[in-house]
Amino acid sequence: MKTEAQLFKSLADETRLKILWLLMAREELCVCDIMGVLSITQSKASRHLRYLYHLGWVTDRRAGVWMNYRLSVAPGSPEAKQLKLLADILGSRPEAQALKDRLEQRLAAKGQSQDRAASEGAAACQCS
Amino acid sequence: MRAEARFFKSLADETRLKILWLLSGVAELCVCDVIDVLGITQSKASRHLRYLYHLGWVTDRRDGVWMNYRLSIAPGSSGEKLLKLLEEMVASQPEAQALRGNLQRCLAAKQHSKCAQGPNAGQKRSPGRLPGS
Repeated sequence: MKTEAQLFKSLADETRLKILWLLMAREELCVCDIMGVLSITQSKASRHLRYLYHLGWVTDRRAGVWMNYRLSVAPGSPEAKQLKLLADILGSRPEAQALKDRLEQRLAAKGQSQDRAASEGAAACQCS
Repeated sequence: MRAEARFFKSLADETRLKILWLLSGVAELCVCDVIDVLGITQSKASRHLRYLYHLGWVTDRRDGVWMNYRLSIAPGSSGEKLLKLLEEMVASQPEAQALRGNLQRCLAAKQHSKCAQGPNAGQKRSPGRLPGS
């Protein structure tokens, strides 16, 4: 049952919880977006993203100097159910909504829409 | 969102996860049952149970020298959903089934034990609140 405890531990940190919440809103996010929206350092963002990566929550894609991450959670898996529960809980929280708004503003300022990100595939991050 | 992280942290520890798994199978547990079934010390069992108590997962009832704990989760609350998810994840695991089996044996043998539940229930204390409950 250590594995299950470890899985729940993914969500037992405020920063990781916020990162997962943001990743649920978009297909893919650059580390720089997470840094910007959560106002955390690159080292902190990357550390938590690598933690999530090693537990299988996300996959990575390098674009120039930046890493991009996206959720990699199989439908119906315990991870997917945890994310759904997280979304249920956070859906009514103003703080969580504010984070999504900040993310949208930031991405809009970067001139990047979800469609464009998806269609361009390996588009380089523009935040450097 | 710190409260939500703390909420998930309840299950981020193997011992707490096992305690919640045991509690979800019975109405009430004595600390001594948790000690026996999980093979942990009284101090460890009590520490984790107090942790769960302060987060509102359980209520306590004193019975002589022992404390008894039971789940205190509102229907439809986030806590209930999380617990249901935990059950889905572990119910089919031999390790989890063995724990429940050990618990049943422990409870069956308990009629003769000094910590058997007596009729003199102590007063209940108000629990904390789970987010979303």
